[in-house]
Amino acid sequence: MSLRQRWQAWWDARHPRRDSHLMGQHNIYILPSRPGLFFCLTLVVLLLASINDQLSLGYALTFLLAGAGFASMHATHANLRGLNLDLKAPAPVFAGDELQLEIRLHNSGGARFGVGLRVPGGAPGDEPAWTDVPARGHSLLQLRCPAPRRGLTGLPALRIETRFPLGLFGAWSIWRPAAQVWVYPRPEPAAPPLPVQATGADADTPAAALLLLGEDFEGVRPYRHGDSLKQVLWKKAAQGGELLVREHLSPASRQRWLDLADTAGLDWEARLARLAAWVLQAEQQGQPWGLRLGARELPPDLGAQQRERALQLLAAAEPSA
Amino acid sequence: MTGTATTGGWRSRLAHLPRETRDTLFLLATIAATVLPHAGHLPIWCTALTGLMLLWRGQLAWRGAALPGRWSLSLMLVLVAGLTWLSHRTLLGREAGITMLVMLMAMKTLELRARRDAFVVFFLGFFLVLTQYLYSQSLLTGLWTLVSVWALMSALVLAQMPVGQPSLKHAARLAARSTLTGLPVMVLLFALFPRIGPLWGVPADAVGRTGLSNELQFGAMSEIANDDGIAMRLRFEGPPPPARALYFRGPVLSRFDGRSWRALPSAGPLAARGPAPRLRGQVLRYELTLEPLRLSVLPLLEMSPEAPGARLEVQGLELWRGSELQWLAPRPITERLRLSQQAGLDYEAGPLAPADRRSRLALQPYLELPAGLNPRTLAWAAELRRRPEFAGLDEAALAPALVAAVLRHIASADFAYTLAPGRYGQDTPHLIDEFWLDRRLGFCEHFAAGFVVVMRALDIPARIVTGFQGADRVLQDGYVVVRNAQAHAWAEVWQPGRGWLRVDPTAAVAPERVDQGRTLVPAPGLLSGALGQVSPALWQSLRRGWEVLNNRWQQTVLNYSRSDQFDLLKRLGWSAPDWQALGQLVALLLAGLAALGAAYAAWQARAQDGWARLRAAILRELHGLDLPAAAAHQAPRQWAALLRLRHGAAAEPLVRQLLALELARYAKQDPTPPPGWLARWRWLREFRAAGRMLRVQTKKSS
Repeated sequence: MSLRQRWQAWWDARHPRRDSHLMGQHNIYILPSRPGLFFCLTLVVLLLASINDQLSLGYALTFLLAGAGFASMHATHANLRGLNLDLKAPAPVFAGDELQLEIRLHNSGGARFGVGLRVPGGAPGDEPAWTDVPARGHSLLQLRCPAPRRGLTGLPALRIETRFPLGLFGAWSIWRPAAQVWVYPRPEPAAPPLPVQATGADADTPAAALLLLGEDFEGVRPYRHGDSLKQVLWKKAAQGGELLVREHLSPASRQRWLDLADTAGLDWEARLARLAAWVLQAEQQGQPWGLRLGARELPPDLGAQQRERALQLLAAAEPSA
Repeated sequence: MTGTATTGGWRSRLAHLPRETRDTLFLLATIAATVLPHAGHLPIWCTALTGLMLLWRGQLAWRGAALPGRWSLSLMLVLVAGLTWLSHRTLLGREAGITMLVMLMAMKTLELRARRDAFVVFFLGFFLVLTQYLYSQSLLTGLWTLVSVWALMSALVLAQMPVGQPSLKHAARLAARSTLTGLPVMVLLFALFPRIGPLWGVPADAVGRTGLSNELQFGAMSEIANDDGIAMRLRFEGPPPPARALYFRGPVLSRFDGRSWRALPSAGPLAARGPAPRLRGQVLRYELTLEPLRLSVLPLLEMSPEAPGARLEVQGLELWRGSELQWLAPRPITERLRLSQQAGLDYEAGPLAPADRRSRLALQPYLELPAGLNPRTLAWAAELRRRPEFAGLDEAALAPALVAAVLRHIASADFAYTLAPGRYGQDTPHLIDEFWLDRRLGFCEHFAAGFVVVMRALDIPARIVTGFQGADRVLQDGYVVVRNAQAHAWAEVWQPGRGWLRVDPTAAVAPERVDQGRTLVPAPGLLSGALGQVSPALWQSLRRGWEVLNNRWQQTVLNYSRSDQFDLLKRLGWSAPDWQALGQLVALLLAGLAALGAAYAAWQARAQDGWARLRAAILRELHGLDLPAAAAHQAPRQWAALLRLRHGAAAEPLVRQLLALELARYAKQDPTPPPGWLARWRWLREFRAAGRMLRVQTKKSS
């Protein structure tokens, strides 16, 4: 195990992933900030001047400032201590978009000021998102962070920091949220239209047969979760019957299959991107559709759930599949 | 009408300023308050420029306009450095440094963009506050600087509150809280931080102050400002002697080059020789507290009995007595000194008769006059000497007769004592001629210098002694107070058979100066003048009360010294206090304070609610019973289920207790108050006992 790995392991064990983050003595770090170091330097010069000129009030001033600095160390630490953070489950996003994190800060003690939150490792000049937390209250913070890669990923570690009240000390704490978030493959921006379906395997189904006859069949079936409201036969429903929906059949296909095989020739990520674009297109067209990723198959269906499932499948897809 | 409307608009605008603008204006006001006390001793251009820059910056903030560019700032910096050079002829001295500091602070506000820049202003501000103490450490200065430090801290706190628009009052309160929390540390360090002497040489120049100095420029000052500051305080054993008899011997000036008087070079304690003063009559014992005069001479009451070359150690400072009976220090004294000494007001000093050539040689420097200068005074002296009344006198009677004649001349001729005599030597190199024969206006140093020159012209050894003379008529808290304004110069002449005798020519022209120990009072200030007119008694008692308060401040805060520290240690039980004991005590107390802080943090971090505390204790116990799945968010009922699952029937007592707790906590309609510490302790004792039983049973069965 290299030193670096060991360090990483120790670091991860030091900051286990948790759903909520209660800050206390064991997970708040505090160090003098750069102005704090300059403050120390100022104090030394003030002390030297007081000694050399035998200024009793100079001593008093120096020690007053030193005492205030010392007290501010405690105040800075106390500004984080006892705060409890948790996170609303983040919504899935497409790779390259930004994750929207909504963090709640619960405060069971006195008022807190200037508490900042950020994702470490951002640009050096990055200002954290600041908030105050009222006494025995809570506040909400929205944080965005980039999600560059697809997959079911853990959230980035969050850094909670403060320099209140004097800015001479910086206290911070690291929280690695336990929640995971789906990052879907980014849909291809100008994807080609959905492929025209070879009827093949589905040729025997009645719908396909009808399609062959060239007639526009229209049938009815009971309402299923996820059906568009436009398809509901409201007149029948008003007559007291059950909720029925009209089934359109477009000439092209009745059940569309989005198949990985149709994207052959592209590199792996591009194939997934195209499929993701197709998923969105198919969903928009409002016909049931299925997804086939080599051996894995998602049976045809329609609706938000189907879309999520398909995108999750794509997000987790590995080239060997 | 329009006027009121505009004022109203202005006011409401002020009340609804954007955060950024308001913070900037507040910071500018803070800087102005910090610089203000310096206005008196800064060059006028510096004060004016600072004011202009702050106003300009304020206006930019008010209008939300852009700040000046880097080029104009650089140009301004060069200009300011040039002006400082012109004013002080250096950029490095103390005065020049303060001027530059003020200018840098004002200019920094003009490029105040980020929060980082604000820090620079704060730290410069703290320096600037400290430099005020070089001029005054009075109670008022202390209070004023406290206000400016508070304002600086509030601005610092404001900079750390990035959200919303916190009110100034709120920030000030938070700053005060932070500072007050640090107060114990401050008091501790102030009381116990080892007070040591200056680390390196301090420029000997007393900054533009009156009082004593090592050199006397004849007639260079057209006017002396009356510095009412206190120079020293004395407490006598027994009744204090009359003010008229109090002469404090400072630098002795013997070399005259026509313009300035200087001390003879001193070669250190080993080269100092001569007989010890012989005291006659009563010996006075007194305790002296000397303010830092930044002078390498310690002015003691005339005349202490030690011989030249004697040594005296005061608070680690090694002093020795010079040949001319002054007390010399190896460096300017910049600390307050406290010492006990004795003195005899009636004494005889120096060699009585120049028996041998060496003694006669030793008197030679006191007869030297610059060649070719002051011919008319010399002629005047020669004419006096030729008078018939001195013709037949022998050596022992001649000198006293001449001294008396010159003093009579001073008293009878039209000499006038004034604090504003104007400059001498503007258009003649013969300064003494100008004073002695033409203008005849002056204060103590003019009279002493003129007298000594005439004495030397008459072949009588003479020298100028500077120091303090007199004291306040009223005791302050039992102390005799000597002020800087009581700085004085007198003469000493040597007469055969009598040694060095003090002659105070000022007494001949203005006896009240010496008798009452008060200088001529300059024109009073506006307020004191008005109040003094209306009710002199009230004014006097107000002034006295203020001075008593100031004395307490001086004695307890400003004069706090190493000996006070050791006294404190003694009272705390150290039998032989030293640096080590002091260090140990400081370390111990700081460690104690840190531990206290940590304990407070731990106490605060602990769950404050009784239920939560009990829950945490139960969880610890459950984890000890091999139930890692038990978590804080579960109810006691769930913990009970987990226990049953893991340990079966053996855990039944624990399960029962948990279920009872569940019932107590949740079953009732109204919320149950959290258990007190006693109830919790009882509950946990039972629970832990059951847990021990369970552990024993599982060990046996396995």
